[in-house]
Amino acid sequence: MQEGFNKSRFLVILLLGAVLFAGLVVYAKTASASDDLNCLLCHKYRGLSRINKDGRFRLFYINERVFRGSPHAKVKCNDCHRDINVIPHEPAKKVNCTVECHIIEPSGQKRFSHQPIEDILSTSVHSKYDKNGKLKKYSEDYPWCKDCHEQPLYRPLSFFKGIRPGVSKRALGRCKTCHRTGRFADIFYTHVTSRLQKTRKSKEIVEICAKCHGRKDFQKRHGLDDVVTSYKETFHGKAVDYGSVRAPDCVDCHVVKGENVHFIEGKKSATSAVYPLNVSRTCRAEECHVNAGEKLASYQVHVTYDKDKYPLEYYMLWFFKFLTAGVMYFFLILIFLELLRRLIPNFAIRREPVLSESEIYEKDGLILDISEIEE
Amino acid sequence: MKKYPKIVEKKGKRYFYRFSLHQRIQHIVLFTATITLALTGFPLRYHDAWWAPYLYNFFGGIDVAPKIHRTAGSIVLALFVYHTCYFLYLFFNTRVRRLREEGRATPFNIIKEFLSQEMIPNKRDLFDIINYFKYLLYWTNKKPKFERMSWKEKFDYFAPYWGIPVLGPAGAILWWRDEVSHYLPGIVLNAAYIMHTDEALLAVMFLFFVHWYNVHYAPEKFPMGMVFLTGYLSEDEMIHEHYGEYERVMKEEGLEKEIRPQH
Repeated sequence: MQEGFNKSRFLVILLLGAVLFAGLVVYAKTASASDDLNCLLCHKYRGLSRINKDGRFRLFYINERVFRGSPHAKVKCNDCHRDINVIPHEPAKKVNCTVECHIIEPSGQKRFSHQPIEDILSTSVHSKYDKNGKLKKYSEDYPWCKDCHEQPLYRPLSFFKGIRPGVSKRALGRCKTCHRTGRFADIFYTHVTSRLQKTRKSKEIVEICAKCHGRKDFQKRHGLDDVVTSYKETFHGKAVDYGSVRAPDCVDCHVVKGENVHFIEGKKSATSAVYPLNVSRTCRAEECHVNAGEKLASYQVHVTYDKDKYPLEYYMLWFFKFLTAGVMYFFLILIFLELLRRLIPNFAIRREPVLSESEIYEKDGLILDISEIEE
Repeated sequence: MKKYPKIVEKKGKRYFYRFSLHQRIQHIVLFTATITLALTGFPLRYHDAWWAPYLYNFFGGIDVAPKIHRTAGSIVLALFVYHTCYFLYLFFNTRVRRLREEGRATPFNIIKEFLSQEMIPNKRDLFDIINYFKYLLYWTNKKPKFERMSWKEKFDYFAPYWGIPVLGPAGAILWWRDEVSHYLPGIVLNAAYIMHTDEALLAVMFLFFVHWYNVHYAPEKFPMGMVFLTGYLSEDEMIHEHYGEYERVMKEEGLEKEIRPQH
């Protein structure tokens, strides 16, 4: 009995030991992967954080699994955080996305940089500078890379959905027949296929734009309408809210088809997707209202019920408000009076004998002389 | 056409005829489609509300619910056309035919005959409203004796005759927006959108608060009046709601002595 107990205890301890050892091996392998500079020595700890002087909570924990699935998986830490060369380090400076990193861009064999995006952005309506190269008023309001591409949004949609859109293991197998070294085939294939479709949900796009365009103070400073609320009131906005993948978000209408998504122009620019003469073409794009007529262009997307800007909608809205209020108040008062009359049935200012036989109305029931009732 | 007896007696109680089976079926189709329209339309209007996604997803979400909505809308529009034809058929087949047989079918007489139908609002309704408010406001103890169709019921009846021509075409324009844009400017879609959603709100509020009060919530009706299923109204309900008709029918059936007082 005693011997048998010892045996089973020994087996349990052995099993536990094996599991623990296996766990340690896996953990050590995970923690050390793709971190040449050993930044994860500290940043692997989930609680690594501090509160800034301005009271903002900053979390410095890096989830390696998430990082390895992100577009920057192959970039070394100090490719972006250039000011950090020793451990421990001083508080890091802001990252400049336009610097060249150690990734070699395969088509041109040059070091990769996001500078071309910055060049496009600087010609768009979102540039901090005007046409003469001068800083615009309230230039601090204009977006920089991280205003839109903020964590966790810079991660591809596939991360959220737990699948990789466009990735087929069978197709990938064909690539791997020749491209055997490292994870090249996986990364290259994902890179291309994820760009063949939307990488972000439409709802996220709207949320990104709303970060600035949805703020009242921002709208007031720049003299802009509340385009976020008005968009959300359209069928497009509501369909996107319900997860439609076919309804358009901000980018679908404000970027000319084929142009880079960062090249958004104001509606006064003649080449803009929303310039009055171009709206019809934008609406009737291939995957949108392709069968519509040119007159569709006069549909007003961002209606704010402003009396001067949208008089038709403004007066229609008021008409229906009055109609609804009029009808409902009349009948709700009637119901209230009916219930009150039931509650106190016997009181009346003028008491008249209630006839048992109806002779008050004329026989055809149509023409009535009020004096007969008064009698 | 089936002849319904004006009064039937069951278990010692009298019931008064109001609606034929044909009319009751039309009503069932109308309310089923209307409730479906409301349930598949309002989650879109109030998409921000907490309950909206649950309700909308119950009907299949953004890919399916609009199809259900459009099907129900088509049914209501078809019923509207059908009922109008039915109304006109009844009118021509009974009243106009009688006028012809009597040789009095002049345009003036036909119009007069049309206006004298029980569903058409008339001068008496105006006085009924005035007298009813006098009664409700305790000016008098005498309640008006409503005939077969009271002014409230006429309002109920003609509400869809205003609502459907506003909601239906607006909904159709939004549905066939691409085709419509070949003939009409895009701003018509803005107008149709307001017409459709705001009129729908009025219709649903009226049905939920007023019509359902009249047939469901009112103390003598709760939980529901049975006339929409049986086609017959009980004696108590007749006395309460249609005393004029009650007296007339009782006399026609030779039951003058059993007429009960109004309450």
